[in-house]
Amino acid sequence: MNCPLETPETANLLLDYCSRKLSPENTAIFERHVEMCPACRRFAEGQRAVWSALDSWEAAPVSPDFDARLYSRLETGPTWRERVFGPLRSMSAYRGRLAAAAACLLLLVGVLLERPGKPVAVPAPPETALMDVQPEQVESALDAMDVLSEFSRKARPENPESKL
Amino acid sequence: MSDLILAPSQHRMTKRVQSGMGGAAAALDFDAELMLRVKEGDGASFGVLLDKHRSSVVHFLFRMIQNHAVAEELAQEVFLRVYRSRATYEPTAKFTTWLFRIATHLALNALRDGKHDRLQERLDDDLGEVPARQVSDKRPNVEQTLVYQARLNEIRRAIAQLPEKQRAAVLMHKYQEMEYSQIANVLNCSESAVKSLLFRAYEALRARLAHMA
Repeated sequence: MNCPLETPETANLLLDYCSRKLSPENTAIFERHVEMCPACRRFAEGQRAVWSALDSWEAAPVSPDFDARLYSRLETGPTWRERVFGPLRSMSAYRGRLAAAAACLLLLVGVLLERPGKPVAVPAPPETALMDVQPEQVESALDAMDVLSEFSRKARPENPESKL
Repeated sequence: MSDLILAPSQHRMTKRVQSGMGGAAAALDFDAELMLRVKEGDGASFGVLLDKHRSSVVHFLFRMIQNHAVAEELAQEVFLRVYRSRATYEPTAKFTTWLFRIATHLALNALRDGKHDRLQERLDDDLGEVPARQVSDKRPNVEQTLVYQARLNEIRRAIAQLPEKQRAAVLMHKYQEMEYSQIANVLNCSESAVKSLLFRAYEALRARLAHMA
């Protein structure tokens, strides 16, 4: 017989052998092999040690009032909290996926809102702004320019006071 | 065999179970028959199911969560869910598969909800909940008790260090003696995935516990 540890498919047969789940014929075949194969012998000894260690782990007995508590809960029916949060609790296993889906949805909404082709509000160019100027405003601006040119003429170098 | 035991009304139920589960092995699942009776309003059958599976569910949850109070709380939730979903129950699988699927789901949720960290911190404190070990001389002395508790602590830590799914698979395989197919059904994975989970889990346990031989 080939060593069962050589392939992962047959390695579980050793577990079955150690937990006495094999048929008597297969157990006899395995026993003959384990006697000759040091790797399988080590495996079987280790597995028996684990098995015996787990056997020694006794769970505490169930509380005597377990049934009474259960029946009292059955009689009272689900609490308001169980009614409200009960359906949500079953979704807790998918919390990560829900968060990822929500993030994807937000991203999609963002992309759709900012997609190219949508008219964007651009400030009007200065030329367009000039079109809105009234004639009175132009006139007063020209008057102001005249005043300024008069002032600058008077402030020329022949007027020494202007240097100050 | 069940033909000899069951009353005529139960024969009808057996036939329904057979048609629902589609296999001879499934037809022998008396628990499914009891659950169908619960579905029809027979509260006493629920009591029988509770009596039969109470300890195994509490012990499975205790070994998963490693806190007795939380394990009992979760076990209550398991049986509450069984009872409340009686109206929609269909025997499509073995009753214990369904029962342990609910229990495993609740245990994994409790571990993921963060109770896990708090529970691990309480691991040492919780040893006091363990019943006194029945050693051969029936009256263990202080030294024997200490050695036993140290050994037990090591076993519990080795189990607690396994990834959640591996832990569930080992506990169902070792203590509930479930078949690979049943564990696969509970964990919602393939049979080969269960074999692989178990192989890796026992490998880790051998590395941690082999010296106890």
